[in-house]
Amino acid sequence: MTAAIAGLGMTEMGKIYGRTPTQLAVEAISRAAEDAGLGLADIDGLYVNPGVKNDTDLRLQSSLQMRHTRLLATIQGFGSSAGQMVQYAAMAIDAGMAEVVACVYADAPLKEGKRAGAAYPGQARAMEGVGSLPFAAGLKAAPERYAVAARRHMETYGTTSEQLGAVAVAARQWAAMNPAAQMREPMTLEDHQSSRMIADPLRLLDCCLVSNGAVAIIVTSAERAATLRQPPVHVWGWGQGHPGYVNRRDSEFGLVTGAAQSGADALSMAGVGVEEIGVRELYDCFTYTTLITLEDYGFCAKGEGGEFVASGAIAPGGSHPTNTGGGELSSFYMWGMTPLSEAVIQARGQGGERQVADHDLVMVSGNGGVLDFHSTLILSPHPKTR
Amino acid sequence: MSLAPSAAPSPAPVVRDDLSGPFFDASAEGRLLLRYSPSSGEWSEPAAMVCSLTQAADLEWREASGRGSLVSWTVKPGRPRDDQPAVDTVIGIVETEEGPWLTLLLPEVTDRSVLRVGASVVVGFVQPEGSEHLPVGRLVG
Repeated sequence: MTAAIAGLGMTEMGKIYGRTPTQLAVEAISRAAEDAGLGLADIDGLYVNPGVKNDTDLRLQSSLQMRHTRLLATIQGFGSSAGQMVQYAAMAIDAGMAEVVACVYADAPLKEGKRAGAAYPGQARAMEGVGSLPFAAGLKAAPERYAVAARRHMETYGTTSEQLGAVAVAARQWAAMNPAAQMREPMTLEDHQSSRMIADPLRLLDCCLVSNGAVAIIVTSAERAATLRQPPVHVWGWGQGHPGYVNRRDSEFGLVTGAAQSGADALSMAGVGVEEIGVRELYDCFTYTTLITLEDYGFCAKGEGGEFVASGAIAPGGSHPTNTGGGELSSFYMWGMTPLSEAVIQARGQGGERQVADHDLVMVSGNGGVLDFHSTLILSPHPKTR
Repeated sequence: MSLAPSAAPSPAPVVRDDLSGPFFDASAEGRLLLRYSPSSGEWSEPAAMVCSLTQAADLEWREASGRGSLVSWTVKPGRPRDDQPAVDTVIGIVETEEGPWLTLLLPEVTDRSVLRVGASVVVGFVQPEGSEHLPVGRLVG
């Protein structure tokens, strides 16, 4: 496999109103093409990942006035979609199906004057039949569903709220160095501990920043990427893992995620050991998600994620720089495009004040559902040599 | 003065569909049914379509003991309304003795210190307005 990411395009993020997801997607793709030194007419493949509002789809082709599309689909893997789109684009390019594939995520769940919680009311489901019993019991929206996962981890391994807070504080420290981040003012552990409880054990500052916006990337062959404007970001390896969690006594829900399988597969394909990874860009819908992904990828032992993050390892200056743009917690929430976009910036060496010196190998996670779906990418500024 | 009924958290109403008739007929009688696979001897959650262990398609309704233990939980803070104090919502993941997990409202928990992994839970039933009888969890012992 010899694909590379050649372009990155991002709209304004956050509380931006008055534009539809399709309009945001067109803007992001246009910026990504320009970033690569290409025109829209060069794009012959398109993968569209609609977010929670689900109001953009493969008809985006028409909005872009594309006429010679050779590859076109809506991809829906929830938070694992961004990684999946890169994987399918790389395979399609390798198979000769397309040369230049745009992958886009666009969403606008925020409405002016409404709380972010109103954007994600929980899974819309007719309250009919036994399948709706968990919902009827109150386990509806993402915070309480991740809360029971986090609680199980805490009870099993002794993970604490303060350790979750260390993840939030580290993300904010990185965000302070990212001009594009929404939340850049300093945050202390005390701020985290005094933020209001959303769903015990998760507090407000354990939760990501629901955002409007769009992110697009351009995937092409390594050969073509080498001729374009930006330094190529080579795709070395990937994996997926979708545990799905059966509700029974042997369930690992809350303790082990799809990152374990997905990460191992990606490292194997890339031919690298986890200790060689210089930068981690991890899906952080909640602080707990960062912590357990670090464990499942093998950056620390199972159950030791709490001590690991509290040691300062993932913060600026730490041994394991993680979520260097501020992540979904402090920068913006664009599903898997949040970690992927920062991974591209870091791999290119364009992180400015927050650039990590050792960026030869960047590991990117995508997590969807309630830890049900997972994708991994391993990216590098260097052509794949192993 | 008794507590106003509205103060206690209650599950949201659920109506039956084509597949759930036996479950709700039993719940109205205070009995918990789970899905059982004769070929594997394993139990599955009420919504399972195939066996949770072997994926065999021979599931049938069978009465469970209605006893289990707490696996995990969350507490959603309530908001005070109309002079009524805020009432927190406590939701537990309960592992039944037979093996399947149920997500249950724990409406009687007011002291969080009782929430611990392995705490004994007995399944009871309540009937919200406009709803079938729905299972809830009661911590015992």
